[in-house]
Amino acid sequence: MGRLLETEKLTIRFGGLAAVNEVDFTIDHGEAVGLIGPNGSGKTTFFNLLTGIYKPTGGVIRYCGESLVGLPTFKIAKQGVARTFQNNRLFLNLTVLDNVLIGMHPHQDSTWFDAVFRRSYVEKEVEQGVEKGLGLLSQFSQDLAKNCYQRAGDLPQADRRKLEICRALASNPRLLLLDEPSAGMTPAETEELMEDIRKVRQKIGGIGIIIIEHDMAVIREVAERVVVLNYGRKIAEGTFREISNNELVLEAYLGREEQDAQA
Amino acid sequence: MLPRTIGRAILLLSVEAFFFILFAAFMKTYDTGKVIAFLLFFIGVGVMFRKLDRARLALTDLFKEMKIVAGAGFVLMLLTLPFIFQSSPYLVHICVMAGLFAILALGLNFQLGSTNVVNFATAASYGIGAYASALLAVHFHISFWLGLVVGGSLASLFGLLLGIPCMKTKDYYLSLVTIAFGLIVYILLVNFSWTGGPNGIPNIPPPSLFGHSFKDPLSLFGYQLPFQSNYYYLIFVLVGGSIFVANRLHHSRVGLTWNAIREDEIAARCHGIDVTWYKILAFCIDAFFGGVAGTVYAHYIGFISPENFAFIVSVVVVTMVILGGMDNVFGVIIGAILLTILPEKFRAFEDFRVLIYGVIVVTMLMFRPQGLFPQKMRIYKK
Repeated sequence: MGRLLETEKLTIRFGGLAAVNEVDFTIDHGEAVGLIGPNGSGKTTFFNLLTGIYKPTGGVIRYCGESLVGLPTFKIAKQGVARTFQNNRLFLNLTVLDNVLIGMHPHQDSTWFDAVFRRSYVEKEVEQGVEKGLGLLSQFSQDLAKNCYQRAGDLPQADRRKLEICRALASNPRLLLLDEPSAGMTPAETEELMEDIRKVRQKIGGIGIIIIEHDMAVIREVAERVVVLNYGRKIAEGTFREISNNELVLEAYLGREEQDAQA
Repeated sequence: MLPRTIGRAILLLSVEAFFFILFAAFMKTYDTGKVIAFLLFFIGVGVMFRKLDRARLALTDLFKEMKIVAGAGFVLMLLTLPFIFQSSPYLVHICVMAGLFAILALGLNFQLGSTNVVNFATAASYGIGAYASALLAVHFHISFWLGLVVGGSLASLFGLLLGIPCMKTKDYYLSLVTIAFGLIVYILLVNFSWTGGPNGIPNIPPPSLFGHSFKDPLSLFGYQLPFQSNYYYLIFVLVGGSIFVANRLHHSRVGLTWNAIREDEIAARCHGIDVTWYKILAFCIDAFFGGVAGTVYAHYIGFISPENFAFIVSVVVVTMVILGGMDNVFGVIIGAILLTILPEKFRAFEDFRVLIYGVIVVTMLMFRPQGLFPQKMRIYKK
């Protein structure tokens, strides 16, 4: 079994700016990798490249041995790459349960023809979807499962994040990309989130998780390996302990010591 | 238990009958002052209904409890409408037109309501359906019933052709493409010689069923009904079919997917939704509905010209969907009925028609963008 996902010299340029610059990245089955870096270092852009929202201007993305470069976003999603978004992109005017049902889209197959003429097939599909969706929701939060007909836009921030993770998991992904899941959460909620991520890894064996975070406590708890980006380049890689002692990383986050002294 | 159920059923039917009689009386009013009095009364009832929570809950419970009785009663009352308007064919004509626009609005609802694709080319598919079956009937003597399918399918094909270039654009730009498409169809209809040019196509034969021509008066239970009644019942069946299809699509994976695209296109893509395909699907289904409505119109009026399928028709249908309620089948039909009947009742203000449509759209979008009847949340049975 090869790598779950690897990139080689992955690059995207917006005009003269290389937002992601020759990044080599790997993740194995069942691994959780943290992706950190100062603001604007290209973390979210990296996710957008993996999911096909941006087309790379150079480099290779291999997922389970096959290239993802040039594939449209929905096809990449169908192959089992699910993600959440930095600022939460739920379907706000739909119910909690509908959000999760849409997550199941890739492995349902009823068409407009079935919808009009083969009602029993559609009903069975919906029934299975609802059952699976409620099961998934109740694993994360009994409240969400109980209020599954609530409008997603009426949920508090922490529940929205949870729902977004549920929606992503509904597609049975092999690779889960979490973009700052703890943003806007209280410490207690963050604690709960870390517990949830552990649960996901336990329940779904072999799922790979890439997590972007600014909260280093989350990275320390969740990620086995950390990759650091700065100005679009990978500047370091290693365990959390290694990273936190790395000169380049400290410099990226805090600035260089001599310069400060001179200034 | 049984007497109570019967009592409630009678209560329900009398509520329905009350409003139905009011509606019939309203239709028969021609005096502008009385029309306004009626409208104010309806608005008053609507406002009261919103204010009085207990009455509303009791009524909605009643309707939910006896869906079948309510539906059957409603259908029966609608079926008696041509008898009530027996002496005034004009009123039956208005009802037929309301039905045609209901089909158009239901079709557009898949795009505007479900998917948030603002398509201004409804008139084009309406016209393509009408011209296709009219030409087939006049030149090749193809029957109306076959023309109905051909008109719908051909319009659907053009919907596909329109959908493909539209997928390269988004939002306002997409609307501009659809406007352009509508204008192209209109100008082609005016300039082609085989479509009759600006003179259109006269003498389109009426449909016939089991030897009964739709041009002849309809005799039912010893009553002579005006010939429009034939079309009234035809439209009744077609609107019923459209509601059936619309409901099934809305309550399926397809409807849910359309909603996902409306809510957030990028998130939809990231969940494996082929946005392009689903949008084009909405274009095709919308155009099919338009084509079917156009076919009926052509054979009903017996004469079509490009003027019947001008840009303003598209604007009217868009207004209907916005007024009635985005992605609410019932609301969209109410929107279509309101905007067909009211202009007829206010003939005196005909010059201001377009102005009023504009005011309706702006007012609705500012104060109630979800429409008179907003989309309902999907509830799944356990």
